[in-house]
Amino acid sequence: MTTSQTISIKSDPSTDIACRTVDQKERSLLRKVIDRIADRCRSRSLFILHYCTGCGAIELPPTITSRFDSERLGIQPMVTPRQADILLITGYLSIKTLKRVILSYEQMPGPKYVIGMGSCTINGGMYWHSYATIKRLQEYLPVDMYMAGCMPRPEAIQQGFLQLIDNIDKGRANAWQEYYCNYDYYLGNQQALFGPDWHTPTDVIAEAQHYQLFSENTLGEHTALLAKFASEYVTQPIPTKVLQREEIVE
Amino acid sequence: MSEQLPEVLESVFREIPNLVFEQQGPRRLRVKLRADALPALLELLKGRAGYLHLSAISCVDWPQLNEFELVYHLWSYEVKNLVSAHIYIPKKPGRYVSVYDLYIPAAFFERDIHEMFGVFFEGSPSMEPFILTEWYGPPPMLKSFSTLGYVEETFGWQEYSPEWLSSVNSVQ
Ligand code: SF4
Repeated sequence: MTTSQTISIKSDPSTDIACRTVDQKERSLLRKVIDRIADRCRSRSLFILHYCTGCGAIELPPTITSRFDSERLGIQPMVTPRQADILLITGYLSIKTLKRVILSYEQMPGPKYVIGMGSCTINGGMYWHSYATIKRLQEYLPVDMYMAGCMPRPEAIQQGFLQLIDNIDKGRANAWQEYYCNYDYYLGNQQALFGPDWHTPTDVIAEAQHYQLFSENTLGEHTALLAKFASEYVTQPIPTKVLQREEIVE
Repeated sequence: MSEQLPEVLESVFREIPNLVFEQQGPRRLRVKLRADALPALLELLKGRAGYLHLSAISCVDWPQLNEFELVYHLWSYEVKNLVSAHIYIPKKPGRYVSVYDLYIPAAFFERDIHEMFGVFFEGSPSMEPFILTEWYGPPPMLKSFSTLGYVEETFGWQEYSPEWLSSVNSVQ
């Protein structure tokens, strides 16, 4: 039933920092120029998916609308993850909402950027000893930028936006690639909270291949647990080892 | 005190033995009674004085007394008065009867208290897990549950030791 391809996993010395195989064509000067232009264009038009379950959300209306007007920077709100570039987490995340955040994040097309806004996303903030909220957002999603403050004022948010635009422009905002390169790490942390049966409808491993970001850390002991959810529709590439193990059990 | 008490309420309170009440404001009454008399009180209040609105059931954990305090907040649109009925039940076995047959919303409050404090309500339609997700620990609102201990076990902390902080610490 499982129509899965098997992938030989071996570390390849000819990869760059983003785990991409070094492609001569890609390294060419023309390619670099094109990348620079694309990055610059990208940084000029960004759509935020604002995930407003934290109290910091109250600073967003003035930031986005006429008072501070983030549209001057080319940043606009967007209501669906599939059309958004930035995922803006505006405060504390309970374990329950974290699930929804991960589902939204995985639906966003790359390149995508995550901003953790407010102290709660950094270290739990004033919910630091709450059993129900997560403490460090970057354990579950790759975070590009944190904005400290409880809550940060619109000026600080604008400043953060400007910094992010600059990072994108210079080609430094590459945290989203981490999610594909180290999917096993992120999935492991998610499973630690949600239990071993946690899985999302998004085929992250196939996406990693699509973006050419598949690396040796994409698969591991945590992704192996996804094998039982592979289906005709979701082709989870399963390492041969896992397949053999399942056959032995049967 | 009782001069402000509406007549219907006085007639209701007279029927319940060992009931103590205290007027806390023009529209607030705090009532203390024995746990087994509570269903009778609710029935009388609902039938005679129009207490149709059970706005909440709250629970307090008293570790020294080894008891749970349950508070039923009731509002009447006729008398325009809030009655908070306080009862105490022993922590062990921590069971009480459901008032679902009198007030349908009680189902949610009881399910919530069951999840957060572990009190079991007999006759409540559902005592299944409610709002906590993936929770395997003890009821988290008990005083004996150490939230900080749980957090330290489950989550990690961010490292933050900038230079300026160490210079501040060394001065002290
Ligand atoms: S950082 Fe402060 S303002 Fe932001 S969600 Fe946390 S408590 Fe609320």
